Amino acid sequence: MIRRLLTLTLSLAFLFCVQASAQTVDDLIKKNIEAHGGVQKLKAVKTMKASGKITPQGLEIPITLQQKRPGMVRMDATFQGKSLVQAYDGETGWKIDPFQGNPDPEKVAGDDLKDLEEQADLDGPLVDYKQKGHTVELIGKEDMEGTPVYKLKLTLKNGDVRNIYIDAENYLELKITSKRKTPGGEIDVDQYMGNYKSVNGLMFPFSIDTRVKGQSVNQITIDKIEMDVPVDDAIFKMPAKPAEKPKTEEKKPPARD
Amino acid sequence: MRSHSLTTTSLLVVIAASLAVSVSAQTTVKLDSNSFGAIEARHIGPAVTSGRIAAIDGVASDPRILYAGSAGGGLWKSINAGTTFKPVFDKYTQSIGAVTVDQAHPDTVWVGTGETWTRNSVSVGTGIYKTTDGGDTWKMMGLEDSERIARIVVDPKNSDVVYVAATGHLWNSNEQRGVYKTTDGGKTWQRVLFVDKDTGCSDVAVDPQETNIVYAGMWQFRRSPYFFTSGGPGSGFYKSTDAGKTWKKLTRDMPEGELGRIAIAVAPSRPNLVYAIIEAKKTALYRSEDLGESWTKMSASPSVTGRPFYFARILVDPKDYNRLYKPDFNVGVSTDGGQSFTQRGGRAHGDYHTVWVNPQDTFQVYVGTDGGVYQSNDKANTFRFCSNIPVGQFYHVSFDMEQPYNVYGGLQDNGSWMGPSQSPSGIENKDWRNVGFGDGFHVWADQLDRDIVYSEFQGGNVLRFHKSTGEAKWIKPLERQGEPKYRFNWNTALGLSPTNKKVIYIGAQFLFRSTDKGESWERISNDLTTNDPEKQKQEESGGLSLDNSNAENHCTIVAVAESPLEEKTIWAGTDDGNLQLTRDGGKTWANTVGNIQGLPKNTWCTSVEPSRFDRATAYVTFDGHQTGDMKVYVFKTTDYGKTWKPLASDAIKGYAHVVREDRVDRDLLFVGTEFGLFVSIDGGAQWAQFTGNLPPVAVRDIAIHPRDNDLILATHGRGILIIDDITPLRQLSSKILDSTAYVMDSRPSPITIPIGAQDFPGDGDFVGSNPPESATITYYLKDRHVFGDLKIEVYNAEGKLMSTLPAGKRKGINRVQWFMRQKPPKVPPSPNLAGPALFGPMVPEGVYTVKLIKDKETFTGQVKVVADPKSVHSAADRALQQQTMRKLYDMTERLAFIDSVVTDARDKAKDRAKKLDSADAVAKDLEAFADKLDALHKTLVATKEGAITGEEQLRERIVELYGWVSQYGGRPTQSLLDRIPVLEKEIDAKDSEFQAMIAKDLAGVNAKLADKKLDQIKVMTKEEYDKKQEK
Repeated sequence: MIRRLLTLTLSLAFLFCVQASAQTVDDLIKKNIEAHGGVQKLKAVKTMKASGKITPQGLEIPITLQQKRPGMVRMDATFQGKSLVQAYDGETGWKIDPFQGNPDPEKVAGDDLKDLEEQADLDGPLVDYKQKGHTVELIGKEDMEGTPVYKLKLTLKNGDVRNIYIDAENYLELKITSKRKTPGGEIDVDQYMGNYKSVNGLMFPFSIDTRVKGQSVNQITIDKIEMDVPVDDAIFKMPAKPAEKPKTEEKKPPARD
Repeated sequence: MRSHSLTTTSLLVVIAASLAVSVSAQTTVKLDSNSFGAIEARHIGPAVTSGRIAAIDGVASDPRILYAGSAGGGLWKSINAGTTFKPVFDKYTQSIGAVTVDQAHPDTVWVGTGETWTRNSVSVGTGIYKTTDGGDTWKMMGLEDSERIARIVVDPKNSDVVYVAATGHLWNSNEQRGVYKTTDGGKTWQRVLFVDKDTGCSDVAVDPQETNIVYAGMWQFRRSPYFFTSGGPGSGFYKSTDAGKTWKKLTRDMPEGELGRIAIAVAPSRPNLVYAIIEAKKTALYRSEDLGESWTKMSASPSVTGRPFYFARILVDPKDYNRLYKPDFNVGVSTDGGQSFTQRGGRAHGDYHTVWVNPQDTFQVYVGTDGGVYQSNDKANTFRFCSNIPVGQFYHVSFDMEQPYNVYGGLQDNGSWMGPSQSPSGIENKDWRNVGFGDGFHVWADQLDRDIVYSEFQGGNVLRFHKSTGEAKWIKPLERQGEPKYRFNWNTALGLSPTNKKVIYIGAQFLFRSTDKGESWERISNDLTTNDPEKQKQEESGGLSLDNSNAENHCTIVAVAESPLEEKTIWAGTDDGNLQLTRDGGKTWANTVGNIQGLPKNTWCTSVEPSRFDRATAYVTFDGHQTGDMKVYVFKTTDYGKTWKPLASDAIKGYAHVVREDRVDRDLLFVGTEFGLFVSIDGGAQWAQFTGNLPPVAVRDIAIHPRDNDLILATHGRGILIIDDITPLRQLSSKILDSTAYVMDSRPSPITIPIGAQDFPGDGDFVGSNPPESATITYYLKDRHVFGDLKIEVYNAEGKLMSTLPAGKRKGINRVQWFMRQKPPKVPPSPNLAGPALFGPMVPEGVYTVKLIKDKETFTGQVKVVADPKSVHSAADRALQQQTMRKLYDMTERLAFIDSVVTDARDKAKDRAKKLDSADAVAKDLEAFADKLDALHKTLVATKEGAITGEEQLRERIVELYGWVSQYGGRPTQSLLDRIPVLEKEIDAKDSEFQAMIAKDLAGVNAKLADKKLDQIKVMTKEEYDKKQEK
């Protein structure tokens, strides 16, 4: 359960999804990027470091998220003195999940890897979306909980779809929806962005509320965002296991009582 | 409350703040659906029995995907062959007549709204809809006035060509009926076959090979509040060979006389074979082997002839043209081309309406019945129930005063039920109890005897159900010497007295009262109806096929309500439009309906609600939809019915079923209609639809729980819904609507012990949601908050900050959950989680101050935390539980500190050792010192890696007890209390062991470090530890 909730926290990287939309799609996207501070300022950013907390079901877990060009991301969530780590160095996605009884780093694959790859895009998918192989469609203007919004349908290069709801007044993202596969079946995950604040002239949401079927499953509150602080490439690389064990992939897992 | 101070909570500030609000109120924000914001209904089911399924279709190329359209609960999609379903049509009309997948583009699905199984209680549609993304989004495609759609057929060779069987209005004439066709994917429609304003289309079929060949059944039919007619001169069977341009009426080999409803199927594997069930004086199945030119009568078995208006589908197996499925009371199966049928169904719910056969595996068959969807994997021999589609159609709802309270209600064709408003693992199918059978309506818990429930089934059959034994006693009033036959409505009025807990009322044409649990009945009125003999011919009802099921019983009492303020004031409303009042307990009655201006004569009275604030005041709803009058009728009297004021406005959509006055705020009114729930906060001047997790489903009844302040809805399509705690709606006013932000009142929040339950039902069962076990903090925002901070801080009475919470930002009312817990204890790190210590102890009871911080402004309110009213424990025992929690909490934190000091010293020693050559003697001494400390650490905390190590050290022993104590609200066991000092001594011993180690070794180690010019090892102090923790 904990692992699942924390996986969701990866969506924290949506923070950096500087996305846009327009009365025509490209016009909207342009306005959105401008609302975030403009493409030049954004592209000048080399590294970002955000810290805050995630509060699933009343728990309070400190998290940090670090990103660096090109396409590197790492998230740490710490509680009871141990950290869950999820990271991607541009090639390899990996995690350390001590709460599942394994203190060693392991590679991630499938949807988890797709998430990491998506979230490693520091500019977010809408910036240069054509070059990235994504497509964006303007579905229309609609009402979201009493606020007029533009709805964009973003189809990522890998085929996954995100619906992005952009405030018709200030062109910032208010909601991003996606479908996620879970052991209990496919679920719709809705993320609501708010508490926008400017950091070095760039606008970021400092609050992300994740809801499933309308119920809040966790909230992320960002305390601090820093840009262009030194971040070592090494933190994104999968560490060697302390004592590399012989490969056991072919063997049957040991029986447990 | 508005203030700009972060610290003030005093009453003076509160008063000043309220004044500030009134001063700042300038513009007027109108009440609308968004005002209610995050106040949402929770769906509790049940799905132990589902509801009527009108149509099913699946994806031929991926038959795990299927859609089930319900009579009143929307469209449900499964992507796993029926293991789970989810609703995909919640923004639109919930009554589904037809669903058709465009098999060439399976993400394109057409939905025709308005069911065509035209029983007395059937709902209405609003046209045809289309999705091109598998149901995520829908577009309205027209035919708004068709009211009901029986079938949609997509031309298999051209997806832009679609035929629609528009059945049309049930209760009156209309133009938009017949066969409609689009050739541009629904942008424009052409009516290609029309007979007259009273005749619609009941079925349409297209030859899958020669798609220019189209068959259509035209049906003349009409329903009134007291009669149904199927068949007439307009009915007929038609064929087109030019894609609908011209039509030929098929007359050869047809049954004699007028025709009724016709069902058509072309055999997919041999399309020159066409089957049709044709209602006539002698209804039968016909088969054509020459594309409909000539016909042979095949069978008039009961499978074929049963209730043609209600069961009018025939389906041919996709691979075997001689294998037929005929839904009726059971499902009829023919393997010989329709010559004979066997009835299948077993223990599945009766009344089948639709069948879908997986074309890739024809052993797999899905059926839609009055009780939901069933799946068969052996060609309809045995069925498995899909227990996850909560589309039950309740008529009424009530509650009891248990903790948690139960809800009670009766379902269209699915009996009477009681179920909890809350249950450990969510409200599951197994939590519901059946307390009556047949079609269910009113169900009431006796107000004095907790063992007794009154339920009823169609036609006034009242039962007294005894929970303890499961026995049911029939207590229907019976005619006495010289009395006419009692007339009871389908949905008979049954009510309890709010002033005298012994009194039960039941309405026939007379009103009866019992004070002895239904053992005997006193008649307290004359015939209160119009007693119009023309409206009492239900024995002749049905048209070509006689159909007298109690559904057309008329001239009966359908609403009864006694004033909560005077026992002798009783209102009774009738289905034929009378509204009677007695003020002397039934001695004399006056019909007040004539005083209502603007109400057509003989309009059905659906509810009457005497005020609990003023004895002369009452509210009433009328509903004329069964005569084709779809207007909303809500009226109020303040003078015992002498004059009436209309309350309805254009904001209310759908004909009205019920009006309810709040129990606390006399200006807070609720109206339930065919299209949802509507709320007024100003006595009916303005209305707004409540849309929080509430699709536009029919709301047939509304109850307000007096203790929990919940609004309980009986929906006719989505089961029971509960809107938890309507306290904020009571408070909502134009003043608050105009405020930038306002912290609202909520009901007190009890401290509850989370209850666990172990079961592994898989994913196939519906689970209704529970109310939150946390405290709900409620506040209003005039506009969505986008920029800058918005957060909530909770302070205790001493002004100590207890929690900081992320805050919802939507326009209107927001709700934020506060888990009422203190911070979890610090625990020594280990490879494994200390599960119980993830959560801190509950906060003490008391009043907490809530501060909503919106950028630079602060708005203040309160939340009250109270003891669990369900708790059976004494205050002293509860206090001991809390003290024990605290004790174990402190022990855990103390151990965390000791362990931290030990591992800190260990790591410092190791660190210094690393700086020396490993062969160096000092390095070896340092390693030895570190090893000693590590050995100590390993007795404090489990350190083995692995998911299930079973290792137990001091941390595990303490935290385990912490968990145990947290799960029981009363006195911990004596063993446990005795164990605590034992563990405390162990902590002391470990501390002493460490101190001894330091005393013995540290000076020597430090001296050697000095020799090597390395930093001394200093034991971490509490201050340093605390500082580190803060980081």
